[in-house]
Amino acid sequence: MIDSLKDYQDVSFEQGRSLWQDAWYRLNKNKLAMLGLYLIIFFVVISILTPWIGPYAYETQNLALGASAPSAQHWLGTDIHGRDLMTRLMYGGRISLMVGFAATAVSLVIGVLWGTIAGYVGGLTDTIMMRIVDILYALPFMIFIILLMVVFGRSLLLLFLAIGLIEWLTMARIVRTQVLSVRKQEFVSAAIVTGLSHWQIIRRHVIPNILGPVIVYITLTIPSVMLLEAFLSFLGLGIQPPQSSWGVLISGGVETMEEYPWLLIFPGLALSLTLFALNFLGDGLRDALDPRATRD
Amino acid sequence: MSLLSVNNLAIDFTTRDGTVNAVSDISFTVDKGETLGIVGESGSGKSVSCYSLLGLIPMPPGHIKNGSALFDGIDLLRANEKTMRQIRGKRISMIFQDPMTSLNPYMRVGQQIIEPLLQHNKITQQAAKEKAIALLEEVGISDAANRYQQYPHEFSGGMRQRVVIAMALITEPDLLIADEPTTALDVTIQAQILELIHQLQQRRNIAVIFISHDLDVIKRMADRTIVMEKGFIVEQGNTQDIFYSPTQSYTKKLIASIPSCAKPENYRFTGDKDSRFLELNDISISYGNKNNAFKAVDNVSLTVKQGEILGLVGESGCGKTSLSHSIVRLVDIQQGQICLQQNPLETLQGSALKATRKDIQMIFQDPYASLNPRMTVFNTLAEPLRLHGIASDANELNSKVLSLMQDVGLEASWANKYPHEFSGGQRQRIAIARALAVEPQLIIADEPVSALDVTIQAQILSLLLELCQQRQLTMIFISHDLAVVRYIADRTAVMNQGKIVEINDTETVYQNPSDPYTKSLLAARV
Amino acid sequence: MMRFFVGRLLQSIPVIFIVITATFFLVRAAPGGPFDAEKTLSPEVIERLNERYNLDAPMYEQYFDYLGHLVQGDFGPSFRYTNRTVTEIIYAGLPITFELAIYAIMIALVIGILAGMLAAIKPNSAQDYIPMSLAMTGICMPSFLLGPLLVLVFGIWLQWLPVSGWGYSPGDKILPAITLGSTYAAYIARLTRGGMLEILSQDYIRTAKAKGLSTASIIFRHALRGGLSPVVAFLGPAIAGLLAGSFVVETIFQIPGLGRFYVQAAFNRDYTMILGTTILLSCLIVLLNMLSDLLAVWLNPRLALSNEKN
Repeated sequence: MIDSLKDYQDVSFEQGRSLWQDAWYRLNKNKLAMLGLYLIIFFVVISILTPWIGPYAYETQNLALGASAPSAQHWLGTDIHGRDLMTRLMYGGRISLMVGFAATAVSLVIGVLWGTIAGYVGGLTDTIMMRIVDILYALPFMIFIILLMVVFGRSLLLLFLAIGLIEWLTMARIVRTQVLSVRKQEFVSAAIVTGLSHWQIIRRHVIPNILGPVIVYITLTIPSVMLLEAFLSFLGLGIQPPQSSWGVLISGGVETMEEYPWLLIFPGLALSLTLFALNFLGDGLRDALDPRATRD
Repeated sequence: MSLLSVNNLAIDFTTRDGTVNAVSDISFTVDKGETLGIVGESGSGKSVSCYSLLGLIPMPPGHIKNGSALFDGIDLLRANEKTMRQIRGKRISMIFQDPMTSLNPYMRVGQQIIEPLLQHNKITQQAAKEKAIALLEEVGISDAANRYQQYPHEFSGGMRQRVVIAMALITEPDLLIADEPTTALDVTIQAQILELIHQLQQRRNIAVIFISHDLDVIKRMADRTIVMEKGFIVEQGNTQDIFYSPTQSYTKKLIASIPSCAKPENYRFTGDKDSRFLELNDISISYGNKNNAFKAVDNVSLTVKQGEILGLVGESGCGKTSLSHSIVRLVDIQQGQICLQQNPLETLQGSALKATRKDIQMIFQDPYASLNPRMTVFNTLAEPLRLHGIASDANELNSKVLSLMQDVGLEASWANKYPHEFSGGQRQRIAIARALAVEPQLIIADEPVSALDVTIQAQILSLLLELCQQRQLTMIFISHDLAVVRYIADRTAVMNQGKIVEINDTETVYQNPSDPYTKSLLAARV
Repeated sequence: MMRFFVGRLLQSIPVIFIVITATFFLVRAAPGGPFDAEKTLSPEVIERLNERYNLDAPMYEQYFDYLGHLVQGDFGPSFRYTNRTVTEIIYAGLPITFELAIYAIMIALVIGILAGMLAAIKPNSAQDYIPMSLAMTGICMPSFLLGPLLVLVFGIWLQWLPVSGWGYSPGDKILPAITLGSTYAAYIARLTRGGMLEILSQDYIRTAKAKGLSTASIIFRHALRGGLSPVVAFLGPAIAGLLAGSFVVETIFQIPGLGRFYVQAAFNRDYTMILGTTILLSCLIVLLNMLSDLLAVWLNPRLALSNEKN
């Protein structure tokens, strides 16, 4: 605490600083979280730039080559059709990350809105809204997704819409619980007495105080969505070949793991690295957004 | 020979900021059957030193640097865990501050009471139960056989503390350590519990270490008293000597901080005696649904004069907080009318309500909960200024915030700090500054000093008096603490079970109470 | 307590009804019919089949017809396995899926709670970091990756355990159960750690210590009950997820459980089979959630009180 105070005092007082500036300042001190952040940024940038920087065209086959181990031409080797694994991994990452982020964004928007309204308004509104969540919870969604994918074909849009529509339920519950506990705090009463509108209170006092758990949950949702996509691909219901995702690559790699282990190791590594990075970033962000956190 | 003799005890805590000397070189003794009082403010080391005797300090970060504590020939600071387990709960028992949290909510109270007995003595479940029920009756719990089967949440605060006392005494220990055992309780309950502890001690001839921040409680309970400050013992001796002829300046300051007198003459109300600044007419507030309604405030009428400080006194659950919240529109009233300078408040909506909010501000009880932990002091104070358009540009905003901070005694360089970096008293200053930011006419202060140490309490009270006079504020001051209200209020209203049972000039209420409830409240004072 | 139970039962009726209706119309809205896969059939044969299974009737008629049979406990005939009814197939497959799920949840509970407790007793030590990193890996490892890996290591390299089957050779149930349970073990470990840490910081734990209780008594008598409440809340959804997720494991290990039939049915447009298994799973999920809530109430006396008041 003293350390950080010293830093504050070096900056002579000019004007108020926002929570975000402070959070960024604290996040910068958390090495693991920053490593996670850089890794995620790296993956995202690579995915965006893949069409321009990919060493090979996506579908280029070299059947003569077949499955070959990593070499100078093909850094990560080739698959049984002789396609460059690194290229496929980069394209697969595009899909996996897109599904992960987009579906999580869908669940985040719906979940936070729903949970905040239910928790903040309370009373009958809360009861009805949460009953709806309870009912939806009881639906076998996994089964519905499988059904949807079978029935309406494997569209990427449908996929992350469907996944997003399941994941928001838990988000709404978490947000509501947090909002309920923040709402009872005296500083919210103080804000009402000051004369802030409900919307201002939600934005300035409630949301900043529920961000921690929400961010942690986001970093848990992105991986679980990516796994869900992989799982559907495993069942043959996810991305259609010749497109691929990390999930498709892993399940393909599983089949040939005895003969060509690199086809499993590299996709598995890419997925695991992303998941770990997200976790460290999530924990780091939670601490950074809490001025009381004791960790540096 | 003393039962317990502590010699040169020193305890460190390792924190991020370095090493903190929580307890520095203290020595004291406790004899059989006597009560030793330890008094001090928060952070004085009074609890830490006693917890260390039972090995209840988490280590790390705690570390016993030096000293010994001989109890019946055993050095409690160096005994192994097995020996300690045979002493804890068997020969030395503890009563903790908050009976709401010190009992396991998942376990029946009976099981919890006999647990130390089963742990330490060879006794059957049945025999233990009989003993426990007898003890429950002795500590004043009626229908003990049935109560034995209940869970803690089925007991009131006072009853729970009786259960905790029974639990501590069931093994007939030689020494009882009571850490703020009545702090969380109402005055009348506090008086009963103190009496109970006193009687049980007399009957069993056990030694008691009584820890409290409350000088009055210590004065009543202790044979000898230790005064602690910042980990040191500043003074120890017979309780009478400590209180009537203290030798150390800190002890004197502490005793002087107890608000034991009437309101200072120069701060008293001098305004218009017939003014009707704030009027409450037949206010009722109830909670719950129609079938199961609980009437928190029951037909209360009240008039507050412009420029006066009205004290509102009552025990927990009497409705004083509901009443105050209705004035700032945090709860709705079901019946009646609230008028500020003849303008009804209870029906205001939208911008009219927002405009009125500027005139009425509130200071909350808990300075730890009433400040947004994720907002710097600057932002906390700037928010109302921006909202009500009091500061037009960034420069004006800065200067207003800084002058507010100066007014309540906060340094300008602290503006970018977060609430958790401040002490309780400083936080309450921030909360006061926030209330003053919009230049209100009326301030509702709900237990503003209850969470603070006595010396800090005295500072905040004089700050409030000062500010009220300078800015000609009207204030409703709510407290359970009779002495505090007497010191600050011009008039005092006493509330009980949702009704105002007595209202009059403060000194009249205190010297010639007319209502039986007021009398019992005053009698319960320690 | 009884009222709470009955209330929940009544609440679940509309849920089940929504599931039935949604599934019914969803499968029928799909392009393709149950007999499309068999290209050898002439249009006349398909027509006769459609007539036989009432598939040429208007949609609403089929719907009410189905509901009518359903209330009598009849799931109808399978369109794919023409000589068997859906009830028969469920009867054969469900016990296997159930057995697998029970083993998996038992493994998950034992490993998860033990690891979580170890971590909570000494937070921020090796005793915390090692089980929690394992848990993290468990969460990140999908079952379709873990299953084959386990087969590779224990089945093919070490040859300790059979690589597939169910009930044919000793030990063939171990790998599927571990594969299915590992993710849940990981979640339970994290929940246990969180719950226990929360409880261990409570004042009444200090009271227990001041009574002279040993660390073991404090953990088992005072902390466990409260510390496990997040786990209990998670159990209902977890078992539901186990049942729904079992088909991956059943596919990997070639187990003749219900899950495999389900996925097959979806691909084959086997309407009655899809409906039957979906309804069954929904009922199980509703029931399990209810049991999990009841267990939570039973564990926490304060909840019992507030429910009686409602």
